[in-house]
Amino acid sequence: MLAYAARRLLLSAGLVWVVASLVFLVIHLIPGDPAELLLSQGGIAPDPAAVDELRHRLGLNLPLWEQYASYMGALLRGDFGLSLLDEHPIADEIALRLPRTLELIIAAALISLAFGMPLGVAAALQAGGLLDRLLSGAAALALSIPVFVVGTLAVLVLAQELKLVSAGGYVPFARDPGRHIVLLLMPAGTIAVGLGAVVFRVMRSSVLEVLERDHVRAAQARGLSAAGIIRRHVVRNALTPVVTVVALHLGTLLGGTVLVEFVFNWPGLSGYLVRAVEARDYPEVMGIVLVISTLFVLLNFVVDLLYAVIDPRVRHA
Amino acid sequence: MSASVSRRAVLAGAAALPFLRGARAHAASPGVLTFGLSSFPPSIQPWQNTGTAAATVKLMIYRGLTSYALDGSLRGELAESWNTHGETGWEFKLRDARFQNGEKVTSADVKWTIEQIAAERSTAYFRAEMQRVAKVETPDDRTVRIVMRSPVATLPVWMASYHLPIISRNSPQGSFVGAGPFVLDAQERGVSLELKPFKGFYRAGLPKLTGISAVAYQDESLRVAALRSGDVDLIEYVPWQAMDSIAADGALNLDTVDGAFMFLIFNGARPPFNDARVRKAVAHAIRRDELVRAAFFGRGSPLMQLPIATSSPFYNAEFKQGWNHDPDLSKRLLAEAGHANGFSCSLLSTAQYGMHKDTAEVVQQHLAAVGIRAELNLPDWSTRVSIGNRGQYDVAVMGTAADSNDPDGIANFIDGSLSPSYVRSHGLKIDRITELLAAGRTEFDDAKRRAIYRDMEGTAIEQVPMVGLTWRSQGYAMRKGVTGFKNLPGALTFYSGLTFETAEVA
Repeated sequence: MLAYAARRLLLSAGLVWVVASLVFLVIHLIPGDPAELLLSQGGIAPDPAAVDELRHRLGLNLPLWEQYASYMGALLRGDFGLSLLDEHPIADEIALRLPRTLELIIAAALISLAFGMPLGVAAALQAGGLLDRLLSGAAALALSIPVFVVGTLAVLVLAQELKLVSAGGYVPFARDPGRHIVLLLMPAGTIAVGLGAVVFRVMRSSVLEVLERDHVRAAQARGLSAAGIIRRHVVRNALTPVVTVVALHLGTLLGGTVLVEFVFNWPGLSGYLVRAVEARDYPEVMGIVLVISTLFVLLNFVVDLLYAVIDPRVRHA
Repeated sequence: MSASVSRRAVLAGAAALPFLRGARAHAASPGVLTFGLSSFPPSIQPWQNTGTAAATVKLMIYRGLTSYALDGSLRGELAESWNTHGETGWEFKLRDARFQNGEKVTSADVKWTIEQIAAERSTAYFRAEMQRVAKVETPDDRTVRIVMRSPVATLPVWMASYHLPIISRNSPQGSFVGAGPFVLDAQERGVSLELKPFKGFYRAGLPKLTGISAVAYQDESLRVAALRSGDVDLIEYVPWQAMDSIAADGALNLDTVDGAFMFLIFNGARPPFNDARVRKAVAHAIRRDELVRAAFFGRGSPLMQLPIATSSPFYNAEFKQGWNHDPDLSKRLLAEAGHANGFSCSLLSTAQYGMHKDTAEVVQQHLAAVGIRAELNLPDWSTRVSIGNRGQYDVAVMGTAADSNDPDGIANFIDGSLSPSYVRSHGLKIDRITELLAAGRTEFDDAKRRAIYRDMEGTAIEQVPMVGLTWRSQGYAMRKGVTGFKNLPGALTFYSGLTFETAEVA
């Protein structure tokens, strides 16, 4: 078992390295020079000598393989390097922004599960009924609306027209916990609209499938209460696909909350990645992608663990 | 029962929605102005060009020898007066001002600043210009003489640039102590900057604000929403589509000027745009009123000559229709140049900014009407800059503001003798324009300067180093409670940050 885990870990590390190397190659191959861009802000022509000087200072004039070797060497020492824009330590910035994105994703997942699971069960128990049709229709609608439309509508109605909440932004929890949570709810709720609909649909179909299984019929034959059967024999068995789907979505969201972060001015990791790519800030892009891919791998481990918790057969296999 | 209660609750809730409108979603501290920036400054290094958002913040923290008054005229800042000195020199008399570290602003600080900018390993925007300084003399603490290698009439204008603030020579390593009205107190990278007033600012009674909280809102719609919801007091870069509704909003003020402009540049290093007739054909093919409507929601005005503001003493009304819409003339010029059946070319712009993309799409249609089949290339901005610098295009859309309201401020866009850049035509050197720009820069007599620039514009209309398309409105929007903040005229719109020193918020 331990040898298996070690092999997986090694394979995962290799995968992360391949991803980092590919990103290094791709970001360096696409047009755009960080030094040129930094000094060209605001539609201004920079002095070529100043651009050359900056390129030299940033090490961008070195051959690509030297830049790669230098970067990977630093990475092995746990050094993510400095931003090309302002020489800010990248590890510090990731450490600042990653928790914000994780917080956003986790809040969205919790809201999605809180609404999607019970509604999915309720719809499955009344399959084909009015409630099922209504909820399924609403889920289809929620899935079909792009996240930026939901976000923009939320800003328009709740912030701009009703002035109930701020239009967006971020306040650290330590400075103002109440305002932090208020500002978190809008973007998290926006992500949860789509994710909740996914949870609802998976939960509904999973419950319908489990309801047909022999052990449920056996429980009914034993005279167990309907609520007990649903709670202990149906919902628990129906959770596995939900966990899989939510975990996959969470992994995708790690680098994919960019639209929500943009619409709500949430300073997380996705927005940071986009700005780094725009500015061709190579070390920043590499650092962020490395962290995201590592987290993705870790998330898969966690999912495996959760399987074991939900389904004891996995634990004993 | 439950259905009935639920329906009532929903109806009651809906009815109550209008009454739920709050005055402000988030209350600000008294006297502190919350400013919605268009982006978080990548760096606020005082002498480096890192964009207009950074420039606005720099204007809060730093001050140069000169700056601009509300009407756009040059005014003394750390220098109370200036005069020419000898053949190639300027003498500046400094006023009694202090840096934010409490030290006096002296001629030695000015000398040190110029030396830093001109240094061999400098990345300053004015490095090339300051390398033309022959020597800096400091006869006393309050007098500084800047002697150039050749006469430069525009030196006091350069000294007003937000890229040329005077910094204390005793600044700690890696930081820059300025003499502006606000001190950077704290910042959360990528999110916000907090500024507090500098009590020792040399203008008595200023600044009036007790602080500025500059929060970056990169999404323009959110920036407007933040203003409407009361999260911020003032925003920059008001999106054109929101200007009408903001102007109609009784709680808000909109302050716009036609400051920045859109234009076309060419690859003059190869056919067909190495031929002035073809470039002129393009200039006369464009219907600029359509561009103003399509790209700027009517918020702007046609530009059919060089981008010199109408308020400038150097504005030449006789060229007002210099590149008017005349498709027949375009076709004639193309035929003369041997392109009677038109030709195909690439049209470079960027999909990253709507105004650039929309402008390119409209220009493409107008060119098609005279037989020029332009294929759009719309990469992201970084790629567009790179492609532009390397001249990998035929025609390109560009948009920016001039360095100043002085005609020398547009030299960057029309002087082909300068190094290749994405902001000007590639490989298109028009000697007469270069000569006249140089002559204007060294001429101190205003009447003679006006004649030189008239001649230059006449040459430009014929030789077409660029094609003016539209002026675009550059706007600030603010709550009614904000006073004292003013959008400066013409190309100086990005200098409006100077007026934070007089701004107040109720």
